[in-house]
Amino acid sequence: MASDESISTLKILMIGPSGAGKSALLIRYCDDQFDSESSTATIGVDFKMKKLSVHGKAYRLNLLDTAGQERFRTLSNSYYRGAHGVVLVYDISNRDSFLAMERWFEEVESNAQPGAVTYLVGAKMDKTAQRTVKVEEGMKMAEERGCVGFCEVSSKTRENVRKPFVEIVDAVVQKPELLSSGTRRMGTVPVDGGEGFGSGCSC
Amino acid sequence: MESLNETLWDVVISGTGLKHSLLALALSRSNKKILHVDQNEYYGDAEAAFSLQEVDEWVERVNAVSPSNFRNASLWKTTTSNESDKLSFSRAYTLTLSPQIIYTRSKLLSQLVSSKVYRQLEFQAVGNWWILGEHSLNRLPNGREDIFRDKSIDNRAKRGLMKFLKFVVDYENQNELWQPQADSGLAGFLSSHFQLPPNLQNVICALTLSLDAPESTKVSWSLPRIARHLTSIGVFGPGFGAVVPKWGGGAEISQVACRAGAVGGGIYVLGIGVKESNTSSEEAGNITHVHLSNEDVVKTRHLIQYPAARSTDAKAVSKVIAIVSSSLTTLFKNSVEGSPLAAVSVIVLPVSTVIVEEASQATPIYIMAHSNETGECPAGQCVLYATMLYSEHSKQLLDAALDVFLARVEDTPELLYKLYYEQEPEEENEAQTESLDPSLDLAFNDAILEDVESLWKTVIGDEAEQARFMRFEDREGMSADDDELDEGY
Repeated sequence: MASDESISTLKILMIGPSGAGKSALLIRYCDDQFDSESSTATIGVDFKMKKLSVHGKAYRLNLLDTAGQERFRTLSNSYYRGAHGVVLVYDISNRDSFLAMERWFEEVESNAQPGAVTYLVGAKMDKTAQRTVKVEEGMKMAEERGCVGFCEVSSKTRENVRKPFVEIVDAVVQKPELLSSGTRRMGTVPVDGGEGFGSGCSC
Repeated sequence: MESLNETLWDVVISGTGLKHSLLALALSRSNKKILHVDQNEYYGDAEAAFSLQEVDEWVERVNAVSPSNFRNASLWKTTTSNESDKLSFSRAYTLTLSPQIIYTRSKLLSQLVSSKVYRQLEFQAVGNWWILGEHSLNRLPNGREDIFRDKSIDNRAKRGLMKFLKFVVDYENQNELWQPQADSGLAGFLSSHFQLPPNLQNVICALTLSLDAPESTKVSWSLPRIARHLTSIGVFGPGFGAVVPKWGGGAEISQVACRAGAVGGGIYVLGIGVKESNTSSEEAGNITHVHLSNEDVVKTRHLIQYPAARSTDAKAVSKVIAIVSSSLTTLFKNSVEGSPLAAVSVIVLPVSTVIVEEASQATPIYIMAHSNETGECPAGQCVLYATMLYSEHSKQLLDAALDVFLARVEDTPELLYKLYYEQEPEEENEAQTESLDPSLDLAFNDAILEDVESLWKTVIGDEAEQARFMRFEDREGMSADDDELDEGY
């Protein structure tokens, strides 16, 4: 485990409207699992850890899911703290989910730290018959919003599921100022190892 | 909006203040169906934190209908043009209604650790404590060696002080010494038993964070608090005995606790309050019908909300949140080798330190200075949280206190922004009329955790026997097993 300590951790958030496929993408990418029956809101997933290397250097990804707090738009400010990148997910077969992205971009702008990068994902690309959002529309929105990338994915067929994560990490690591902001400062007090200091009263 | 009324909830929690958020955390692994609402559009209730724009909106609401325990809010911003330039954009600030310090021995910290949510929090040290004297700002001695070196204390007082410090950390075993004086004032006790002069009485009383004068601060209430202060130093490292969570103290804890509630399946809706409720006996047991402010009616087995009635004559406090144009570096300087850089410093103005035309200062004033390391303001600035008991002239006294304090620190900082408000106790507290309501305490009061635990027991009922309060395993995701490397590029 010693070598793990030297790996920097990147905090990446998933956001977007309820039912867009955020958790499915996360679980396909991290655990290579897909449950087509499961359409219920996510319970019990706080975050996922995944190691990823870009240009030969390994990073530990801390991937946070919305925990259902997107349903009534009640994500807290604290969810966004220290995030290096945000993956915004809509459903290509649900036009409303695409139209809702404007508000999600605004929420990122007002809550994420300056310089945090965004990546737009159109999920459920296998649902070609029900498609209501064109690839070009997604691409255009990503460009207008200054995203570092855009792609469509299918968690069902595995198509492109690694692409958003690899590309957003590649963009984050090219911003050294963003990387250094995530490291804990010297003023941070570790509260879980207290009794090790022992002494107690100093007088 | 999705429908909430098709579910029979196990519990509806109204309000996302610190206590109710900790309850949501405590219930987060219980598999109960939980609906957690707040009438406000933000998390935290009486412990919320705001950007400058959100403060504007809050002030308006407090002064309009004011259903909350806040009143008389007013805002002042500098008009000097070059000073107003220094005030940054709204979201560069996180001004908190809950700057309480958390002693390192508080059960809150051990419960945040055992419930695993501490991983989402960043704690910072509360470093130096200062007393604003007649002519200068004096750092409180940090242990015995400091006291020996202190030339301002004469030898007789030094002996008394040493004797008291030795006694107080062992007060529970020396009942005969203090029990007869339990209901007396701390000042008299320190004078008669330890020959401490008034200036040292003030120092000792400051460690209790009592909002009353030393004469009317009870011995039985003070001793545990002084002992807590002294025995907390060194628990998590040298030189400090309390911590504050970054990004707004209690506000941050309540958000992180609510997220834990959501991860456990709890449903969160903001901007919706509880209008009224009635309970009836049905097949499924006692069911409460809760009328929400969006006209929904939901059914639940338990409804947890703040008590409606508040006593009007209970002790209220006056508070000021001020932004100043200096990083006040000397306040936060390490005084003990190896201690972490402090982000919070406590300044005490004993009784009669400031005078205004109309009145003298009859009770102490406390200023918690937060550096920009707390994430509450931009670099080169500080946020000051000043508190005293409410009185007719407390607003003027707090203003005077800030002026006197700023005149004593380096590079004469300017006030950029000032929010004044008054806060009433959260609930009627018949049992402890003489002491302070936990919601107004300047240090996190563990009595809140006892309330949380008893509410938790009410909700989970018989299962409380098997379940463990606030003790959870890490969620999946922390495990390093199938942690193979994804070769990206």
